[in-house]
Amino acid sequence: MVTDSPTLSPAADPTRVDVSAPGRHPDRSVRQTSLRRQKRVGNALMLAFLVIAALIMATPFLWMALSAMRDPSEMAKVPMPLIPQDWRLENFAETLERAPFGIYARNSFILASAAAILNVVFASACGYSLAKLRFAASKFVFAWTVACIMIPFYATVIPVFLMVRHMPLFGGNSILGQGGIGWIDSWWALIVPGAVSPFMVFLFRQFYVGTPTELIEAARLDGVSEFGIYSRIITPLIKPGLLTVALLSFEAGWNNFLWPLLVTTSENLRVIQVGIASFRQEATTDWHLLMAGTTMAAVPMIVLFLVFQRYFVQGFAASGIK
Amino acid sequence: MTASTTSPSAPVAAPTAPHRRRSGPRAAEARWGLILAAPAALHTLIWIGIPIVVAFLLSLTAYDVVTRPEFNGGANYVRIFQDSIFWKAVLNNVIIAGVGIPISMFLALVFAVILNRALPGRGVFRVMVFLPHITATVAVAMIWLWIYSPSSSGLMNTVLGVIGIGPLPFLTSPTLALPAVILVTIWQGIGLKMLIYLAALQGVNEELYEASDIDGANFVQKFFHITVPMLRPATFFILVTALIANFQTFDLIYILTEGGPANATNVVTYRIYQTAFQEFRFGLASAQSIILLLMLIVLTFFSRRIVGGTDGD
Repeated sequence: MVTDSPTLSPAADPTRVDVSAPGRHPDRSVRQTSLRRQKRVGNALMLAFLVIAALIMATPFLWMALSAMRDPSEMAKVPMPLIPQDWRLENFAETLERAPFGIYARNSFILASAAAILNVVFASACGYSLAKLRFAASKFVFAWTVACIMIPFYATVIPVFLMVRHMPLFGGNSILGQGGIGWIDSWWALIVPGAVSPFMVFLFRQFYVGTPTELIEAARLDGVSEFGIYSRIITPLIKPGLLTVALLSFEAGWNNFLWPLLVTTSENLRVIQVGIASFRQEATTDWHLLMAGTTMAAVPMIVLFLVFQRYFVQGFAASGIK
Repeated sequence: MTASTTSPSAPVAAPTAPHRRRSGPRAAEARWGLILAAPAALHTLIWIGIPIVVAFLLSLTAYDVVTRPEFNGGANYVRIFQDSIFWKAVLNNVIIAGVGIPISMFLALVFAVILNRALPGRGVFRVMVFLPHITATVAVAMIWLWIYSPSSSGLMNTVLGVIGIGPLPFLTSPTLALPAVILVTIWQGIGLKMLIYLAALQGVNEELYEASDIDGANFVQKFFHITVPMLRPATFFILVTALIANFQTFDLIYILTEGGPANATNVVTYRIYQTAFQEFRFGLASAQSIILLLMLIVLTFFSRRIVGGTDGD
């Protein structure tokens, strides 16, 4: 499930099936031509169904994009024209003036990149160790990791919040963690608690299990250090795995909402999802601006997904495992 | 454990140089195993292990952030059982799951079966169906907030206006709000389910279809007699993971309705958020999150049994 991606596998092309057919029973060829005609009609029907269904699925996004470029006076018209009469790209500029979406996007980018980098570094080390190295606590660490995957963030959010708030010697706190705000409203709070995801450790382990152990043994005989084997020999073999984890972590960071909402208060640290949520309260009637802001929060992930589709799909198919 | 069986002399003496050389490769492997695993293991111990213990301890206290936590036995749990809003939230989760999951699973299966065929442009269709899953739920909720807008220019009301139904207050009506939320969960949930179905379809033996072609089976017969039975493990699997995800719905409710009107759309996670971060009753909220955890453990237990049962192939 991890290694083969459903969208990637080449299409089961009917013409290719025919090419390989000659070796089969000759009587089938007549039957196959009528079957093929039937199939063509069926395909046309399905294609029609698909076009309609996919349009319905895409409508909310189209509506967002169209509304982001409407003139406010047009929004009040009854009935509102489906296609904007004049395309107002100024809406984006105006949204940026009303709320600092540039700063929000920068913060989200930093948060998401940190999540991607830290997960790739620490989760890969742990995943490799669990997949390939024998040590006394190995079984225990693996069982613990799997157990952690099953614990929902909502079950631990209150203690994690309290730990962050009472972090000793930060934000005016005493050594006992009293008196100040600790890590609240700091990059520490945004990045550290989510720096390593147990699921990413598990995913890395699955990627490393598929690498050849003989290579590790050969490298040992050649006198390569254990760390060298991990960093220079085996990890380069799972580059698609690295990219998958990096993208999934980035996506989770960019789309995260509850945690940044709880631990940030200043505009300078606000991430883009929290940004549009609070912009909503200020500009409830300015739907064209709200949709411009929403577009800015949604489009970067959509573009990233379109570019790296196969890795996302692999990762999501695998994440079904949890 | 393997290290101790292969080097029985290990605990005998302090590690002298020759001794270390003898048990060298194995010891190095064990040492690096620990070093590489430690950062991630310690991180989860600190940020998941300790919090889960603290959550349980806090659930046995009265704690309002200002004063120190005070042990109050199981009073919070007793209180939860009398808290009608919490059970309303649980019920809403059950309704959202009970209505939304079967519908989105059925649509996901239909999409997967069709998109598994060699149709032109199927890659584009797959992307279109999957995009709602990749997009932040906050952004998704903002879009639907606008679609459901009570002003006659909201898309839903524009469409209804065309067929002569006057603007409906989707998100502020106690009867319409929950169905409106369910519709969004269906729309957003089809993509991932379709993806898992597509992956499972790759494993269905093509020869079964070829054989049924020769027997003259039509598309519907093949769907119900081959596809559906062959996908049964995937179906169970999607069902359980969707149930678990459903109990973690938060962002959508936060943006769309804030649990309203009159708790008509409140869900468990949003109730925990309200209790902890709006009412500052951290002890009670901890007890609520322990209940949530227990509900999810039960679901996970089923999912593990199901996944364990399908691991064989």
